[in-house]
Amino acid sequence: MKQLTICAVLVIAAIALPLLIGNNPYLIGILITLLMMATLASAWNIVGGYAGQFSFGHAAYFGAGAYTTMILLSLFNTNPLVGMAAGIGVACLIALVTGSIVFRLRGHYFALASIAVAEIVRLTVLNLGFTGGAQGILLTDVPFFGLDLNSKSPFYYGMLLTLVVTLGITAYLRKSKTGYYLQAIREDQDAAASLGINVALYKNRALLLSAVLTSIAGSIYALYIRFIDTSAVLDLRLSIEIILTTIIGGVGTLWGPLLGAVLLVPLAEVLRSNLLGDTLFRLGVVSESSPVGIFLKDGLAHGHVLVYGIITVLCILYLPKGILGLFRRGK
Amino acid sequence: MLFFQSLISGLLSGGVYALAGIGMSLVFGVMNVSNFAHGDLMMLGMYMAYFAFTLLHIDPYLSLVLIMPVSFMIGYILEKLFIGRVIHHPHQNQILLTIGLGLIMSNSALLAFTSDPRILTTSYSSSSFTILNDISVSVPLLLSFLITCGITAILYLFLAMTRTGMALRATSQNRDAAQLMGINVSKMSAITFGIGTALAATAGALIAPTYYIHPLAGHTFLLKAFTICVLGGLGSVIGATVGGLIIGVVEAMSSAYLSTDWKDVVVFALFLAVLLFRPQGLFGKKGDQ
Repeated sequence: MKQLTICAVLVIAAIALPLLIGNNPYLIGILITLLMMATLASAWNIVGGYAGQFSFGHAAYFGAGAYTTMILLSLFNTNPLVGMAAGIGVACLIALVTGSIVFRLRGHYFALASIAVAEIVRLTVLNLGFTGGAQGILLTDVPFFGLDLNSKSPFYYGMLLTLVVTLGITAYLRKSKTGYYLQAIREDQDAAASLGINVALYKNRALLLSAVLTSIAGSIYALYIRFIDTSAVLDLRLSIEIILTTIIGGVGTLWGPLLGAVLLVPLAEVLRSNLLGDTLFRLGVVSESSPVGIFLKDGLAHGHVLVYGIITVLCILYLPKGILGLFRRGK
Repeated sequence: MLFFQSLISGLLSGGVYALAGIGMSLVFGVMNVSNFAHGDLMMLGMYMAYFAFTLLHIDPYLSLVLIMPVSFMIGYILEKLFIGRVIHHPHQNQILLTIGLGLIMSNSALLAFTSDPRILTTSYSSSSFTILNDISVSVPLLLSFLITCGITAILYLFLAMTRTGMALRATSQNRDAAQLMGINVSKMSAITFGIGTALAATAGALIAPTYYIHPLAGHTFLLKAFTICVLGGLGSVIGATVGGLIIGVVEAMSSAYLSTDWKDVVVFALFLAVLLFRPQGLFGKKGDQ
């Protein structure tokens, strides 16, 4: 009951937030990214956290949603919702192929094979003609039921809804039979199999569910940005960012992925937008033309990935259960 | 003729791939760790060769004498500081740790060396000679291949003949039993990671004269090294050698008969086919897939 109240308060706060901050496009943009990373991490958590199958290729499902929606829209002017549904279909197809190849294997092999599948998808999209190749796809005008898609708030609410659905599914799943089966598989696959759990079937179900949610987020992202290319939506880096967000928050927990996104997305934004450098310049601590100043201005554009790397290493060494793990010592 | 030309150039570049694959396979065999920083360690080797050439004017092949011990020490220290501490953790933690280390290395390289690709041009970089009428053989690739053969042979002898080599193999077969027999397994891990790093850096230095040197170059090689390891059987040194040569030839053939754009797709498809039909790899032990 207490949890339900907290959830209701959180959701209402999230719905009210755009009204409070007015229509500041910059802040809404960051919030959309935050909701997206939270959705992606929560969706990944279903297969990675609960079933214990570390997929390193979730960018493929995100890209499937983004590319299918955009290709259908740019070539046939298809309704974005139909595009989204088609994206889910493509993501399911990729998930089924991946699952049928690798779920007979375990450990290192699943991680490696999920990368291989994602790379095949990325290179195929890069090499084909109708996907726009290296140039990507740019759409200037998105028709959508007369809704004003130039404002960012429809995407904010779309992403919020996806996140709430993902968290809802996770919350239901972890107390359901399927959820218990998945956790049993994670803890000991052989023991789970000997108790009569169809290991491959349940792993596949978890992956499919995760892929569907990831591809929905991909479709919304594509419609929101209106420009996609392989390095933005299909790169291995995206897969790794999704995993890091989950790990840092707390893998295999309901709120961990959201917490990870709340911490990492603003951090990345601070580093990327050079907030640190600008503040130091304004305070006169560092002069803009000094070597340190030039480094802060030019170098730190790559800085956020470097910081991600450092956080990952520290997290694995000192906080392998994530931040939420700190509060659950007894479990 | 195209066939033989592709075969020759594929085998030559496959030799260097094999070297990178052996390093990764050795680490996997002895430590049971998938090293996702392997590609970035190769990238470090490329930059070492580049700076040895431009700043110290040492030929990239001669600079191996410097690069190998330095990178061995880097690997040894990395194992002591980071990887050795997660050796009993779940494998996904090890993967993430090595990914984190790789991100730190590649992005530090981006900060330090900028994203401009560099080219190491030696006097013989583009020279080649022809055999059997019209098959051309690139001199730097041939040199790299011969050096690779030498290093691989020395590594075999080291693993087969020396006490340390035997201790490494014992650790690889059964870590606990090896420890009970009085082998210092944590030292063996550090030595293994040192050798793995040295092999990665050497492979990087060997391809430096024929490849763009870039901070993110490691990414491509990482996936290739994994394909090689899985193809040969995770943990098998012979398997990685053969796997490297096969991948080199497959790449050259698909570039020649299909297109260079699709060569990586063919390589990854081969990888999935191996997982599907022979998951233990060509030379791997059955049972731990």
